[in-house]
Amino acid sequence: METLFSVLVGILFAGSIYLLLSRKLVRILLGIAILGNAVNLLIFTAGRLTRDVPPIIPLQSYLPVEATANPLPQALVLTAIVISFSFLAFFLVLGYRAYQELGTDDLLDMRVAEPKEHSEPPLGY
Amino acid sequence: MAATKTTVDITAAMVTEAVPLADWLLVAPVLLTMAGGAISIIFRKKSATQPWIAITTIALVILSNIGLLNHVLTNGVVTMVMGSWLPPFGIAFTADPLGALLALTASVATMCVAVFAMNSIAENERRYGFYPFLLMLLCGVTGSFLTGDIFNLYVWFEVLLISSFGMQILGNEKVQIDGAVKYAVLNLIATTLFLAATGLLYGLVGTLNMADIAGKLKAFDSSGPMLGLATLYFLAFAMKAAAFPVNFWLPASYHTPRLVVAAIFAGLLTKVGVYALLRVMLLLMPEGRDWLASLIGIVAIATMLTGSLGALAQTDIRRLMAYLVIAGIGAMMAGIAVGNEVAVSGAIFYSMHSVLIMTALYLLVAFMFQMSGTFSLREIGGLYIRTPLGAGIGLILLLAVAGLPPFSGFWAKLLLVAGALEAGRGWVAAGILVSGLFTTIAVGRLWIFAFWRGGNEHTVDGIQALPIAGSSDASEISWSIWLPLVVLTALIFIIGILPETMMSITENGAKTLIDPTAYIGSVFGGIR
Amino acid sequence: MPLFGVEATFWALLGPFVAAALSPFLAKTLKHNAAWLLAVIPALAFLQFLSFVPGIAEGQTFKASLEWVPTFNVNFSIYLDGLSVLFALLISGIGTLITLYAGGYLKGHENLGQFLSYLFLFMGAMLGVVVADNVITLFIYWELTSITSFLLIGFDHLRRASRRSAVQALVVTGGGGLALMAGLILAGYQGGSFELSELLNSGDVLRESPYYTAIFILVVLGAFTKSAQFPFHFWLPNAMEAPTPVSAYLHSATMVKAGVYLLMRMHPVLGDTELWMTVLPIFGGITLLVGTILGIRQTDLKLVLAYTTVASLGLLVMLTGTSDPVAIQGAVIYLFAHSLFKGSLFMVVGTVDHESGTRDLNRVGGLFSLMPITGTAAVLSALSMAGLPPLVGFVAKEVLYDGTWHAVNGGLWTGFAVLGNAMMFALAATVAIKPFFGAKVKTPKVAHEGTVLLVAGSITLAVLGLAAGAFIASVGHQLLSPMTSAILGTPFDEELHLFPTYLSPALYLSLATVALGIIIFMYMDKLRVIVADALRTIGWGPDKGFDQVLEVIIRFATTLTQTVQTGSMVTYMRATFTVIALVLFVPMILTGNWPKLQGIGSFYAYEWFIAAIAVIGVYAVLTARYRVTAIVLLGIQGFAVALIYLLFGAPDLAFTQFMVETLSVVILALVMTRLNLKPTDARSSRGKAFDISLSVLCGAGISMLLMSIIQLPFDPTLSEFFTQYSRTIAHGRNIVNVILVDFRGFDTIGEISVVMVTGLAVLALIRVRPKSNGNSNSEKNR
Repeated sequence: METLFSVLVGILFAGSIYLLLSRKLVRILLGIAILGNAVNLLIFTAGRLTRDVPPIIPLQSYLPVEATANPLPQALVLTAIVISFSFLAFFLVLGYRAYQELGTDDLLDMRVAEPKEHSEPPLGY
Repeated sequence: MAATKTTVDITAAMVTEAVPLADWLLVAPVLLTMAGGAISIIFRKKSATQPWIAITTIALVILSNIGLLNHVLTNGVVTMVMGSWLPPFGIAFTADPLGALLALTASVATMCVAVFAMNSIAENERRYGFYPFLLMLLCGVTGSFLTGDIFNLYVWFEVLLISSFGMQILGNEKVQIDGAVKYAVLNLIATTLFLAATGLLYGLVGTLNMADIAGKLKAFDSSGPMLGLATLYFLAFAMKAAAFPVNFWLPASYHTPRLVVAAIFAGLLTKVGVYALLRVMLLLMPEGRDWLASLIGIVAIATMLTGSLGALAQTDIRRLMAYLVIAGIGAMMAGIAVGNEVAVSGAIFYSMHSVLIMTALYLLVAFMFQMSGTFSLREIGGLYIRTPLGAGIGLILLLAVAGLPPFSGFWAKLLLVAGALEAGRGWVAAGILVSGLFTTIAVGRLWIFAFWRGGNEHTVDGIQALPIAGSSDASEISWSIWLPLVVLTALIFIIGILPETMMSITENGAKTLIDPTAYIGSVFGGIR
Repeated sequence: MPLFGVEATFWALLGPFVAAALSPFLAKTLKHNAAWLLAVIPALAFLQFLSFVPGIAEGQTFKASLEWVPTFNVNFSIYLDGLSVLFALLISGIGTLITLYAGGYLKGHENLGQFLSYLFLFMGAMLGVVVADNVITLFIYWELTSITSFLLIGFDHLRRASRRSAVQALVVTGGGGLALMAGLILAGYQGGSFELSELLNSGDVLRESPYYTAIFILVVLGAFTKSAQFPFHFWLPNAMEAPTPVSAYLHSATMVKAGVYLLMRMHPVLGDTELWMTVLPIFGGITLLVGTILGIRQTDLKLVLAYTTVASLGLLVMLTGTSDPVAIQGAVIYLFAHSLFKGSLFMVVGTVDHESGTRDLNRVGGLFSLMPITGTAAVLSALSMAGLPPLVGFVAKEVLYDGTWHAVNGGLWTGFAVLGNAMMFALAATVAIKPFFGAKVKTPKVAHEGTVLLVAGSITLAVLGLAAGAFIASVGHQLLSPMTSAILGTPFDEELHLFPTYLSPALYLSLATVALGIIIFMYMDKLRVIVADALRTIGWGPDKGFDQVLEVIIRFATTLTQTVQTGSMVTYMRATFTVIALVLFVPMILTGNWPKLQGIGSFYAYEWFIAAIAVIGVYAVLTARYRVTAIVLLGIQGFAVALIYLLFGAPDLAFTQFMVETLSVVILALVMTRLNLKPTDARSSRGKAFDISLSVLCGAGISMLLMSIIQLPFDPTLSEFFTQYSRTIAHGRNIVNVILVDFRGFDTIGEISVVMVTGLAVLALIRVRPKSNGNSNSEKNR
């Protein structure tokens, strides 16, 4: 059953990577957003899938009545979602500021830190 | 199937005896820095008190880390489980000599940076979080060094990463933003790989506790997907550690933030990557390391050579230092590639040394800039006469980074070379030595230009040129700049002259990594 | 530590470092007279080493050890035998005289204190090299001599030439040192000990080791660079940029002999092999000839001496390389004689320079009457250098001829020796005769005899050379033969005579040398022109080569760095993902561990549907033509993932995902639509093809890794535990929540920290405005 989702994870990764490889900042931001989903789905799938039954113990019982979905990956993914959302927020503002400061959204033109003309180091003594 | 509460056997799920007081030292650094960070966010508008909050916090962390290291050295590996849940179910913090030593060194370096920053971080930047970022960075770093849970390690990685983002952009200059884009995106990819690998590892062994993983992975022979996972982990951490060829982010960004920020980056961040490599490759996946040994060796040598040659190619002193960071990373990875006790001890020794030396070198650059007003090897000069003490400090630090005796770097390199030769990997030893030669040339040039030469590159022989307008005189340098420089230099010198204590710790650390019995025993022993 | 006995040697070793610490202060208060006080320290060390001479003459050796780094078997241990004691005596003895000389030479110099400090640091390091028993300790001292030599050569640091020479010396000797380090460690591992005293007793272990050749090459590299053997000889003449006390001390009497010391030290275990007896004599012989020929070319007296020093070092290496007992005895006597006469001659030249203002051969003459003591020292030392009786240099030459004559391949080595010595003879004559005799030449300064500080050293050494010749039998027995024994590893004690007792081949060779030497001296000026012309024709030498190599390295480094670190984020990303693709696939290819092909299992139609929506969502984002569309379409795949969570028993996740996804889209839309961004992709079609293949590869790799893992059985221990105790102990019904807040609460603490710091970082991004826009270099307060 997980096989289908393995393929889906792969597709999400591929799509996100294609966006990340782009020259445009906006597309990279989109890629980052998808990347988070891809890796979360990967964790979810790696913990094996179970249909329907959420890991919640019924009110009158101390243990679940039937086999439930694996709760641990869910907890991990919840942590990861929040973290990746925080990062996305930071990236969004960073991208915004980058466009404001550098006046471009094209990575090929972002050459302030590493200018194109590289000076040769001094050769003497 | 409904169980009643009364039948539950608590001892099967939890540690029932009280946690010994000394074991609290394990989480103290994390909790202290987190509290300190929160307090300094609350007081973020009081920029005069900010440094003192940070310095007090870090002082406590240092004390706690000294206690922890001492505890580990006398009683062996220490484990504390959070919420008292039995390992591997709860999150365990486990300190071995490697983790405890690096945690202590990191806190010392952070202290130096905190003091140095008092005079070099602008009011406005302090207000928008320099000190909280610094404390949270230390929180993430020590959390990484001490946690015994692989997913928890990921969380600490993110804590230190986001703190470093905050520090990187303090100032909001164009170069910083540009550097931040590259730094942030490439590092995000690295942590995402780490997270993906961890998810996969969980799918493979069904556990997250490192000691448990180490035990369970033994059941997977090399035909399983374990090797693929080991390679993936290697890549993720090699990227964090800035190994060739996935280290673009480092030279692209390390020259852009404030120099104190670069100092703490160079000191701590890449070392966390190296730490994770040591932990995962040696303790968790020794079979994976064996399988990858040659690849790691090649990567290590390529990293050392591109690093030391990169340093030779620079005109900007800050970028030169960035490449020296990389060269050092290669040396540490060489220790992992060799993998015997001597070499691993060398890698640990080098990590400790690298934390101190790289922090010190960036602080030195800040000092040199204040004295000379330039970062360019072409423009700088005349500092030997203007500040003999600074020249002495500079010489010691630069010789130390090149691995020359009698400074701390020498012993690290000695262990690495000896380990490689002992293991019959002469080519790794050769790589370390050749890279050492290139580094010597690079730092030798830097020193003669900045200190010996009378002025810029056009200065006539025999003339001591006038300082560039706006640069400070040695007498104007504040104590908060001298003190961290002198302390770090003294540490590097003392460790160089009396390396025994340090080396017995690193040897102990190497033993614990290579033979995980003590580590696993500490997590499960006594309890299970 | 006791003040007498073997252990007291530790004080003698510590002494120079103490002196180094004191120098700056003493020089500040006492000026140049501080030299008198400071010279006491090496003098005491000299006496300490002298106390071992009687015992050593009887064949004893002395050892003492302090624990230093027991973890790695590095001890602060000393080993005193004939070899180390003679070296230690030379270093401390000549060191005493040089201290005085430096005081006179740099009288009134503002940095005298610093200079003396460096000099003492060097002295301490050099003493350490020769008495260290532990090879690692030896190496540390060895590198220290390189570093201190760097500082001393560059003492006149405002001059470019000084800086160049300093760097050159550091790179050449430091580089050789690195090789040495590997060699010594290998030797230690192979021989089973890092202590020389034990290593030297290991017999043939090293010679028979498979690593012999490696050890040999590495050790020899260290020795050759330090002792300026061809083709590494060039740094030594350049080192003459240093003030003359340095040249006299480091670059003739002591440091440059460290390489020879090392070869002699290792001879019992590395020597006497075909490799040794070929490589050493050939390089030594070439160095001898190159040194003397280049010496003829010079007119600067100091450079003449420098090149003859190179030649002498070549001679010593050649003799050591023969492994012949008599030749080695010759090397020992020559080394001893050389330290005396060359140290003296350097000080003479320094004094002449200091007092007359020049050291150019053509600008000095007839100084003897003005500087009688210096002149006498010059004559005596030159006689010793020329190998004439009754000086110790003569004995050296006799014995070494005797040795080479009988050695393996003796004819060749003897030829080298005679030719070299003849030229040395001529150069000695030049150095002694040109400045002091003949017609008076007007010098830049009016010359007169130097102060006591300046002349004491040279005349003392010169007279010692005479005395050693006179009492050669006893000097030989007490000092020289024990050293020879130490080098050979077997006792050696042949009585030495000042005058030959029978007509040996050596005597004829000596006569030939003198005759040839006189001829060369007579044609010196013509030869100088010839050599100069020849060199000009060649137009290249290792000295130039050094700059070229350095330049090539730097240029290569620059090109390499620019190729790797292009500065273009697009390249970085492509390279990174290429590596990722490799990392995903190569292990699978190498281990053949592909995931098994199996059916994808049975799915409900709506599951297919949702998966399809996710895929379509991704595709839509990729191909969206407008930015806003892309942002809105981003939501599709996000909501599809949320639905998957919902369907597979993770409602909490689903709700979080819905919320996060909505927020992301809203914020993205808010932020990005405010900017005037161009939406288009702007990649070339080739670039697109590359990127598509790369991303598909990466995606497929991750898919397959994931598949191969989920095809294995799962270990649910952890989750079973959580399920079992979630309510019973932790009192929570929602197991996921219990994990978050209790079982793995520490993750959540970290997660909250991340959120907190993100907030602050975003605030910093928005609120802090750059003070100066852009050029950070101009900004002061960093």
